[in-house]
Amino acid sequence: MSTDTRPSSATSAALAFMAVIWVSPFAWLLSNAFDTGANGQLRLPAEPGLGNFLGAMSGPALTQFWNSMFIGVGTATLTLVVGSGAAYALSRLRIPGRNGLLWSLVLLRMLPPTGILVPIYFAAQSVGLLNNLGIVVALTVLNLPFAMLLLKNFFDTVPVELEEAAHVEGASLPRILWRVVMPMSRAGLAVVWFFTFTSAWNEFLFPLLFSRTEDAFPMSIGLYSAFGRNGSIEYGFLAAFSIIYAAPAIAVYFLLRRNMNTGFAGVGVKG
Amino acid sequence: MRDPRSSWASPWLSGSIPVLVLAALPALLFVGVLLYFTLWAVVFSFTDLELFGRKATDWSFVGIENYERLFTRRGFLESLWTTLTFTFFSAIVGQSVLGFLLASTLRRYRGSMRGTIEVCLMLGWLLPDIVAAFLWSATTSKTGLVNQVILGPLGVEPVNFLNDYALQVVILANIWKGTAWSYLLYSAALDNVPGEVVEAAKVDGANGWQRTRRVILPIIKPHIGTNMLFITIWTFTYFPLIYAMTGGGPGSQTETLPIFLYQQSFSVGKLGYGSAISVAMLAIVGVMSIFYLRLLKEPK
Amino acid sequence: MKAPIQGAAICALFAGATPALADVSIMYPDWITALVEPAIEAYEAETGETVTSTRLPTDGYDRRIAVDLAAGTAADVVVLDSFMVAQLADAGYLASLDEQLADWDQYQQFMPALLDVTSFDGTAYALPVDTDVRMLWYNRSVFEEAGIEMPWTPETWDDVLETATTIKDETGIDYAFVLPAGTKQGEAATMQGFYMALLGADTAEGERNRLRNWEEGKWIADSPAIRQVAELYDEVYNQRELTEPSINYATDLGNATREALASNELGIFASGSWERSCLFNCNGVDIPSPEERAEIVGWTPWPSSGAEGAEQGANVSGGWAMGLNAGSGDMEAAKQLLTTIFDYDNFQPWVVDNGRMAVREDIAASEDFAANDYLAAVTELSANTTGRDTYPGYQVVSSLIQDMTGAILDGVPVDEALEEYREALVDEFGEDSVMTLD
Repeated sequence: MSTDTRPSSATSAALAFMAVIWVSPFAWLLSNAFDTGANGQLRLPAEPGLGNFLGAMSGPALTQFWNSMFIGVGTATLTLVVGSGAAYALSRLRIPGRNGLLWSLVLLRMLPPTGILVPIYFAAQSVGLLNNLGIVVALTVLNLPFAMLLLKNFFDTVPVELEEAAHVEGASLPRILWRVVMPMSRAGLAVVWFFTFTSAWNEFLFPLLFSRTEDAFPMSIGLYSAFGRNGSIEYGFLAAFSIIYAAPAIAVYFLLRRNMNTGFAGVGVKG
Repeated sequence: MRDPRSSWASPWLSGSIPVLVLAALPALLFVGVLLYFTLWAVVFSFTDLELFGRKATDWSFVGIENYERLFTRRGFLESLWTTLTFTFFSAIVGQSVLGFLLASTLRRYRGSMRGTIEVCLMLGWLLPDIVAAFLWSATTSKTGLVNQVILGPLGVEPVNFLNDYALQVVILANIWKGTAWSYLLYSAALDNVPGEVVEAAKVDGANGWQRTRRVILPIIKPHIGTNMLFITIWTFTYFPLIYAMTGGGPGSQTETLPIFLYQQSFSVGKLGYGSAISVAMLAIVGVMSIFYLRLLKEPK
Repeated sequence: MKAPIQGAAICALFAGATPALADVSIMYPDWITALVEPAIEAYEAETGETVTSTRLPTDGYDRRIAVDLAAGTAADVVVLDSFMVAQLADAGYLASLDEQLADWDQYQQFMPALLDVTSFDGTAYALPVDTDVRMLWYNRSVFEEAGIEMPWTPETWDDVLETATTIKDETGIDYAFVLPAGTKQGEAATMQGFYMALLGADTAEGERNRLRNWEEGKWIADSPAIRQVAELYDEVYNQRELTEPSINYATDLGNATREALASNELGIFASGSWERSCLFNCNGVDIPSPEERAEIVGWTPWPSSGAEGAEQGANVSGGWAMGLNAGSGDMEAAKQLLTTIFDYDNFQPWVVDNGRMAVREDIAASEDFAANDYLAAVTELSANTTGRDTYPGYQVVSSLIQDMTGAILDGVPVDEALEEYREALVDEFGEDSVMTLD
């Protein structure tokens, strides 16, 4: 569908206008991040400077960055590996009621994490997983239904004929998976990985309870050190830290963007 | 596509079934854990378990008392209505429609304009919820951006939007935050629409709206259905943004079910009642999803 | 105990609790760092052992400590909000300090009224870290504009309502009288709003101004005092519309009041002793001198309702506390760490430097504490203070109170809101544990 006429200038103006609307709330973030005397109000920086960024990066920020990376990358990768195994099997084996099964699993995810936080905590404690590995496992459990449904749909779009052709030529199963299935659903894998990564990257509640020592805290908890007692807030720190905090996730988005733009077509369920 | 005579798998795979089953085992284990927790919520929704104090250890079964509370005590039904409004306007209408419009418009663009808009959408999606809440509060407060930059110069008295239009503001904030997903999904779906079909409709004299309605929408219907299910689930359970912005207020104007659940489970500490709320939410969205499944199952 | 908690507790012996045997551990919120850190260093220097310390963001701390204690994964020394003490002690999570600290010579210095707050069934389970009192703050320039005489000394609620009405009529500001309400602020709405009014509502005789009748051992569902306070809320938010409700639900509550004060939209504000800095900036950044601040805002004790025998200036205090985990692997070490933190030489400088109210007689009497005029003045208010009704279940009662104020603010009629409160109490505690005062 590449034959459309060129966009009109009115549409372009509307889009530019929308872009402005969309970024305008960030005025608050920037004005506070670059104001070392930030007081949480929207104003031109009273004492412009980079002090907040220095403050946000000193201290445990680097350790927290690596912990966040561990949680984000770990959850996304574990979810992907575990999810694809099952999703491929579900896609290729004609198990009766498999679609209904997947949909019910996605619905289970309806249970808000806060609702089952306490049993998860006790379970993690009893198997000695009150640490960042435990967070990875817990978040994988919660993300798996979505991932499996998405992945199965992506695998469904890979034509079986190609696999059969490779089989006829004598390729083994692992080789077919590696050479045929993986490349053709690479985009889908990227999508699932990215969205699992961002949700784990932003997770606050599980680290708050699971991470036993300060060395294990991720950046989501670091962000909260901006909030003090009686509702006091260090705005400069909060704004600068959240920019630093969001940056890696945005970088990851750009690294995966090429894959994702072509990959989303597989998301729909072919009912 | 598949050979109907083979009951379980394509012939080439029939020798590898054990391997496939083995590959699915870890997922089965994880799903089992999820089922266990769900079962926990269901079982404890019939108890008076509390988070602190004596009833944290010394709980007992109380029958369907917690479910009765859903209807006899203030809170649940009111919150349900707020949640439905919030979900309908912010996800189903807002994110989905805006995402589709953007996707279909931006397809014609290459380069900086498209890139810029995508980054704008992504920034909202990736910003931590608590910070997004501050952004929106600062934008809509009496001394905020809207009043300073738009209403002030027009000579309009400053409006405290979070006081006068709380639900509308959180709906807008959620549209701002979540449109990225619908946009990405729809733009990929539109990539799948064969150009020839659209061309043919054009030759037949269909205008832009007719082409969209008669040709494009039916083709991408499965994507619309899946997207609706996902964003409904997400929005129905979405908690941090509203909680940080208004805490459910003023009064209970923006108290959605997740906020109500959180208050009951963690502020009041009634985990049993909280579990009943969770289970009820599960049932409600389960019913809604049947509607979406219908949308998907319709013959093409 | 029943599964799965029992299973978890058994497994805790193998998993979570093991580090506690090796050395002593402590968990505390950010804001108290300056008190805890020097003591940890001193302890380590003295004993040669290391302390495992976990510092958490203040936001979310409450959740973690409750789950931790329940699961047996808490540190040996725990910091907690004083209102949680009774509930956690009742569940057996905290060690009795009367036993543990009997031979610590500084224990008697803690003010008995404040140890009461951290006691359950007559036994103290935590040491108070600090305390606070509550009052009405007012904005001097708004008062001037409205032509109200200062210093402002209202004697009844009606005086306050009349003043606020005058302010609203004369200046048209948005927040003529901010009376904390609703669920978003949690305990703040109960303490700064409802409780403060309640204490001066009815005659001071016979403990009628409380949420719990301690003699009967019952929660009070309805009383003239509770009814009067509910009507006060109705008056403020509905009848006279003295303030826009949203300030109780602001994304950032501190900033909302601060901004309202800075733009002269705030008239009277029911809050606590910390506002002396927090109305400007809790963190002390860009903050005017104490004299300048006194020029901008004034304060007055809460008046009474005006009912016969009702008391002026009654107060309720909260604050944080520190206790010992009953399941600690090494109680002696935990005790030593606790007493190192509260040792006069560690504790007194922190109290003075941070402008906290004193919880010990010897600190209150110390020279550099008495030199602070403001602290001396608010300490006078604390002469007539009381604790919350922190019997187990208080947390539920408090959140029901918040629900009630939120409902009134939402426009629910007072009678209906009170009836819902009574029903909720009965539902929670049973008809036998709830009573009505006439």
